[in-house]
Amino acid sequence: MEEVVRPGGLSVDGRLATADDATLVAACAERVPGAFQALLSRYRRPAVTLAYQMLGNREDAEDVAQEAFVRVFQAIPRFRGQASFSTWLYRIVTNLCLGSRRRRRATVGLDAVREPRASDSPSRQVTEALLTRQVLAAMAPELRAILLLRDQEGLSYSEIAEALRLPLGTVRSRLSKARTAFRKIWSKLSETGEEQS
Amino acid sequence: MTCTLYEEQLSSYLDGELPARRAARLEAHLKTCPHCQAELTALGGIAGRLRAVSSQIEVSHDFDRRVLRAFGYWHVTGWQKPVKSYLKPLVILALFLLAMMGAVWHFFTRPLGPPVPEPRPAVPAVAPAISGMPAPPVQEREER
Ligand SMILES: [Zn+2]
Repeated sequence: MEEVVRPGGLSVDGRLATADDATLVAACAERVPGAFQALLSRYRRPAVTLAYQMLGNREDAEDVAQEAFVRVFQAIPRFRGQASFSTWLYRIVTNLCLGSRRRRRATVGLDAVREPRASDSPSRQVTEALLTRQVLAAMAPELRAILLLRDQEGLSYSEIAEALRLPLGTVRSRLSKARTAFRKIWSKLSETGEEQS
Repeated sequence: MTCTLYEEQLSSYLDGELPARRAARLEAHLKTCPHCQAELTALGGIAGRLRAVSSQIEVSHDFDRRVLRAFGYWHVTGWQKPVKSYLKPLVILALFLLAMMGAVWHFFTRPLGPPVPEPRPAVPAVAPAISGMPAPPVQEREER
């Protein structure tokens, strides 16, 4: 066995690391040692970043991502491969983020990013990253979700349709709406930023 | 302005999801319309902005461990969890039932005056039934 496990991090069997998702899912169902770690190391980052951009803070994001992984892992023995693993995971992360309690907290979290700018940025050096977060925070959660799935995570329209359980036509129109919303809020916030200086 | 109609198509066009004929018409419009060109550029820049932010996001070093622990996969090299997850409640339930059984057993076997003799198999119709009263319990018959 090539597997090496160190106390600090979880390393993954070499063959598992290069296996495709379907193989890894099957390996998890067969309880192959290291298969769960392989899926984790592949998807931890997308899951956390998606949740982070949805919720606006790392603590909630990691909680959501953790919950999503646990749900997915628990359901793996019943997973029939009707969707891809990634779509399945994205779906759960998105749904958890859109859950009412977290959504409320999310807005607070993202809004909090806005606070320091007004008070302690005399030079008005609003970084683009900060502005991007403000724009995301100002967007409707459903629009934010579809925008992130497409433009951050790079899902195809059909994958988004699967993840959000939406018809393709709705994916197309909602994504267009989301991008337009992002663009408009961006312009508005950058204008008000300039006015303040 | 006809721009509104084209603006709605920009997003799909960006992703190559616009049917060829409509894409051709949009391209013809784009050549003559700086407004829609600017809009297309702005929409196309969103992905880069989002990824610039997401690339800065770090994941806690112990994230995997926390997931596997929450999943109950506590021994990270093998499958342990599904057993462990429901084992704990089962053990608690078993202990509770044992305690209940102990309490019930104690209740029925607690000393109450003279020891209760072992009931014998009922002897049919030994005592005569008086005015429709049921036969007295075995215990009373023994005391006589
Ligand atoms: Zn135009």
